[in-house]
Amino acid sequence: MNECAQADFIQMFRPFETGRPAFSFYREIVSEQDNQERDIELLRLIAAGDRTAFGEFYDRHSILMFSVASRILNDPGDAEDVLQEAFVQIWEKAANFDPKLGRPSSWAAILVRNKAIDRIRSSQRRTRLAQEAGTEMAIVAEVNESANEAIHGQDQAKLIKSAIVGLPTEQRQAIELAYFSGLTQNEISEKLHEPLGTVKARIRRGLLKLRDQLEGLL
Amino acid sequence: MIDERMQEQASLHVLGALSKEEAAEFKKTMQANPELRDFVASLSIATGALAGTAPAVEPPPQLRAKILAQVGSPQKVVELPVRKFWPASLFPWGLAASLAVLCVILFEQDGRLQKQIGAQAEEISSLNQMAVSLQAATNNLQQSVIALRETNRLAGLQITMLNSMLTDSKATAVTLWDNQKQDGVFVVQNLKALPADRDYELWVIDENKKPIASGVFHVDESGAIRLDFKPSQFVSAANVFAVTEEVKGGVTSPTIKNMVLASR
Repeated sequence: MNECAQADFIQMFRPFETGRPAFSFYREIVSEQDNQERDIELLRLIAAGDRTAFGEFYDRHSILMFSVASRILNDPGDAEDVLQEAFVQIWEKAANFDPKLGRPSSWAAILVRNKAIDRIRSSQRRTRLAQEAGTEMAIVAEVNESANEAIHGQDQAKLIKSAIVGLPTEQRQAIELAYFSGLTQNEISEKLHEPLGTVKARIRRGLLKLRDQLEGLL
Repeated sequence: MIDERMQEQASLHVLGALSKEEAAEFKKTMQANPELRDFVASLSIATGALAGTAPAVEPPPQLRAKILAQVGSPQKVVELPVRKFWPASLFPWGLAASLAVLCVILFEQDGRLQKQIGAQAEEISSLNQMAVSLQAATNNLQQSVIALRETNRLAGLQITMLNSMLTDSKATAVTLWDNQKQDGVFVVQNLKALPADRDYELWVIDENKKPIASGVFHVDESGAIRLDFKPSQFVSAANVFAVTEEVKGGVTSPTIKNMVLASR
């Protein structure tokens, strides 16, 4: 085996380092691919008006979407409304989903995230939530069970969590302020008292690092 | 090659951190740049993982049915093609056709609403049945708990037979002793009636062989009596039960030679 091939092999079976059998990781990776293909097929069926497919899509993603909505809104009633709106939009706009632009689960999550952020903006709760956001940064490290655990299982969720927690704090903070608090780049810059360029760079570096660490795992 | 500035814009875009105007501008750029589109797609793995860090919360079970009901009939409404040219002579026909379509839509919606109402009524009925069945299950459990408590109580009772110490007597007795409560029941049969100036006295002999007076009694001609007794002192463990014949009112120490009943 030449050096390049060896490096690829080591990279591919990096999960060995955790002490878990490679087969189970291989199975999870294959399973993730199957899941994505199934999701894409479901969205195609939903676009054609298939309610059974819609029900299956709901079963597969409602926990993730409701968790995101609850995390942002911190209000079960609002989270329910937003989840409902997001699923109605999925029913109506499934045909707009383009697999070339990302995964169905990420698409669904960003869809509900945007609706939750819109709701915050419309109810003028944003200032308060932005203020609270600073104190919520430690949540990733502290929550007992994350949606990732419910969706991917404990082992995989641990790897995802360690990838996120492993980001430098300032990168993670900027990313979370954008994703969960709905702040724009300018607002993040103001909140963190950092130049806009620094905020942009932190977000870019953090996301790229996450992507590179999770590629092949999810 | 996507330069750093564009990578930053893409990162902000996938996190929803661009303003509306910036987002619209970025989408235009993305449409014209397949490489940028691929870059954005590659970031979705990170945003998906990020979304999953939210604490897991399951949506309420009834929400699924509510959402499924909201998306309506199995067939999506298909938009009718709009004709650009609309001659006046066709207007009445067009109006009639529109009304017909409207009627069909209303009819369909009515049917759908009826189905939804029916489905919800079924759900309510099913929930009511579940509530009744849960109530019954709760009652059964309560009964079981009562029975178990009773069984447990009985298991803590000490039952002891007392036999006659006299050769010419057929007297027999039983004591039920609850050491936790420090009380018991004494039942005797075929015991000889005593003169008015004499009494029987019940004794509990503890593990240190110390007799503890536990009450006096008198039997009539039937020779039977049921006595609820409570020893005059604390009994650590009841080893032996005995009955002696004593002067009326009883004594503080048993007269051994007058012992009429004892357990072994």
